[in-house]
Order: sequence, then structure tokens, then C-alpha cells
Amino acid sequence: MTVDDWLAAFAAELRRRRVEPAALVAEAAGHLRDSGRPPLQVFGPPTAYAVSLVDSLRGATTELRRPPSGEPRLAAVKIVKRYGRSTILDGVDLTVHAGEVVAVIGANGSGKSTLLRICAGLLAPDEGHVRIRGTLGYCPQDGGTADYLTPDEHYVLIGAGRGESRGAARAEGRAAAATLDWPRSSETVTARHLSGGTRQKLNLVLAGLGDPGVLLLDEPYQGFDNGSYLDFWQQVWRWRDTGKAVVVVTHRLGELDRADAVLDLTSRSAR
Amino acid sequence: MSRTLTVAEMALREISRRRGVLILLALLPLAFYYSRRGEAYWQSVRFVSLGIGWTLSTAALFAGSAARAVEPRLRLSGYATHQLYLGRLAALWAVGLALIVPYFLLILIDLDQVRHGPVALILLLTVAVAAPFGLALSALLPRELEGMLVLLTVVAMQMMLDPDKAVAHALPFWFSREIGVYAIEHDAGSGHVVRGLVHALITLALFLVLVAVTSAVRLRRRPHVSMA
Repeated sequence: MTVDDWLAAFAAELRRRRVEPAALVAEAAGHLRDSGRPPLQVFGPPTAYAVSLVDSLRGATTELRRPPSGEPRLAAVKIVKRYGRSTILDGVDLTVHAGEVVAVIGANGSGKSTLLRICAGLLAPDEGHVRIRGTLGYCPQDGGTADYLTPDEHYVLIGAGRGESRGAARAEGRAAAATLDWPRSSETVTARHLSGGTRQKLNLVLAGLGDPGVLLLDEPYQGFDNGSYLDFWQQVWRWRDTGKAVVVVTHRLGELDRADAVLDLTSRSAR
Repeated sequence: MSRTLTVAEMALREISRRRGVLILLALLPLAFYYSRRGEAYWQSVRFVSLGIGWTLSTAALFAGSAARAVEPRLRLSGYATHQLYLGRLAALWAVGLALIVPYFLLILIDLDQVRHGPVALILLLTVAVAAPFGLALSALLPRELEGMLVLLTVVAMQMMLDPDKAVAHALPFWFSREIGVYAIEHDAGSGHVVRGLVHALITLALFLVLVAVTSAVRLRRRPHVSMA
């Protein structure tokens, strides 16, 4: 691995972790120049070095969390959902603005997926209503893809619903797949032969096709490796930066600093 | 229209990749045909149409079940409910038409004692009815095993029940027997064709309404959501 290759990989990993790489890369390059030794000997693998560096800097880096500035795109008001005698959601409110990422967290059975399905209009609540401004993209926790269709055919199928031409849908899908570290989505492999993580990437790409204004993502990273998980958050932030309202159901409590706001359904049900 | 055609195209692609299903779909009616070819050739016409009806209904049942996971997403992507079920029906009808051509040619070559025009009508009506029948079953019975058992029961009753009994008229493929009488018995009147045709059209209409209503209910926009 040449110095340039090592520095490029180091910078890419820093970007994945939302750390501006310029200063750190310049510092590492200077150190390598002074020492005259190979980078793998000095720092070790670039990914591992970036991870340890980011961990040591955590708290000092400019992590996000910014106040919402756009108009409300999704407003779920006083949502109540009961299954038999059990009340799963009891007067839950959720408002997501344009350019905002909200994480929905909670224990198993706390109603995270139920809330998302209600917001998507796939399930009726017992009480409450949902207002949505713009089109909706939905990524279910599982399912949502057709076993015997290739990724390209999925793009065409969903794209046709959005009013996109075949070529445009294919190009958009392939480009979005590449940002999730899946550059070969154009291969003619049917969805049933994709690994679980790759299938979830397809699921996520389909949710974003056609530029929807509101994205509802139900634990979309199941089966992702660590790099893909970071790429997923990069994609979420790109969506946010283009003014979309994004809701992510997650159970990874350590990653909540990646969202602008958090709705905890566990604490609601425990009250 | 283009959305419906896209759904039809993708449904055809899905079916065409289920090679095992396609082979069974093609060969099972042949077994029905030859099971009665020796001692009762006139029944082989009826049996082959039942075989086609059963296999195509089964294919529709499985296609409908497989689509359940994707259709909510397609609705959210902008498809209307009728575009989804009409597209799938169009694909199944296309498969059915491709299926009956070789069987019609077989009967044309193998049986010269029958009226071939009515035989073609039986096969066409069988395809027309079988596709929505299977889709309606997949909507009413989401578990494929239950749907398969119902299909098996219907075909078995269709084979065993006296066609003159009133209850036999309620079975979806009764028309094949009625038109078959005209196709096989040269002294039979054309009233058999009219009765069979009316039965097939009513059955087809009922299944289409059932598919439309069950799809509309399952994929309806819930009133609690207002889009701006």
C-alpha cells in the first residue's frame, strides 16, 4: 500500500465517520514524510487508525444535532393503537421537519414498526391522525422486495410508479446502490440470491427512488457490515441536507447522536 | 396504462423464472389428458381443460401470495390498486394463452371426432376464469396451503359431481362440461354453448369483482392520513 493509497483510505474512513479529514490527513502525511517509514508500520491499517482516532476525538468533533429549520413534513398527532387489551401506542406525537432526522427507539414490542406503518398509512390507528406534505418513501424491516426480480427490475418497477422512465430509474437506483458500497447492483442476480444485507440495501435504495419528501426507514440496516452501516448514515444525512424529512427506527442506542431528535417509545410505555 | 403494463411485464418475468413451476404447469394437463385418452376420449377434452384450470389457478394463487409483500410499497410508490391486479391478471392470462396453444394443437391432431371450435372456446374460457380464481383465493386465503387445498377440492368435486345437479353449477369450471357436450356429441344443440358461455362470463365477472374488492380493501389508503 503506497502512502497516497493509505491516506486516501484514511480520509474516506474519516468522512464515513463524519469527521472533516483535511487537518488529520495533513498531520498524518507530515508524520509519514518525517519518519520516512511505510504507513502500515507507522499507523497500522488506515481504517483501524481512523476508528481509534475518531473514538479519541469523540466529544471534540463537530457532531450534528441541529434545530429543525424547515416546514413540518410529517405530523403524527395523538396516535393510539391497541391490540386486544394491550395498548401499544398511547397518544404518541411525532413531528418531522424538512431537513431533519428523527430516530425512533424503544424496546421490542414498544410499537416502533407499528408507528411507522401507521405513518405510512399501511395500518389504521385506533385514534389520531397523520399529515404528510410531499411524497413518501418507506423501507420496511423485512419484505418489500420480489424474490424473482433483479435489482434493475425493482428500480424500473418502483420508478414507473413514481412516473420515471426506465433509464432514469435504473440510473438513479444504481447510483444510490453505489453510495451504499454496492457498486454491482446492475448484475442480473435475482433478489432471492442476494445476501440479507445486500437485500436490505436494495430495500433502502427503493425507498429513496423518485426523490420522496418523507422517508420512513424501519431498521433498514439489518445485516449491514460496519462500513455499510456508516455509509447508510451518510446517505441519511445526504437526504437530510437536501431537505427531506427522515424517520429511522433504530435499536442502536449508541448511535443516537447521529439524529437531530429522538422519540423514545420505551419510556412512554413505561410511564 | 404504462404502469399496468410494467406490472404485467414484471409479473411475467417472475413467473418465467420459476422454471419448476413452468414445467409442472405445462405437463400436468398432459397427464390429465392421457388419463382418459384410452377408454373415454370425450372425457380427455374435459380433463385437459380442468388440468389447465387447476395449474393456472395454482400459479395465480402463488403469484398473488408472493405479491402481498411488495404491493403495499408499490401503492406508496404511486400505483393505483387496479393497476396492480390488472397487470398481474394480464400476465397470468398471457401465460394461460401460451399454455393452451399446444394443447389445442394436440387435440386438433389427436381427436378428429370432436368439434374443434367449441374446444378452443372451452380452453379460452378456462384461462379467463382460472387466473382471477387463483388471485381471488390468494386474497381470501393468505396461506398458500389453505388455498391449494381449496383448489384441490374444487377440481375433485368438478370431476366427481354429477354435472346435472344444481350444486355442480356453482363450481367455477362447470361451463367446460356444458360446452364440452356440444363439442363431443354431434347431435347436441347449441343451447349447451350458450349456457356454458353465460356460466363462464358470470363466473369470470364474480371473480373479477372479488379480486377488485379484496385488493381495494387490503391496499386502501387509510383515512387517518392526509396528504398535501
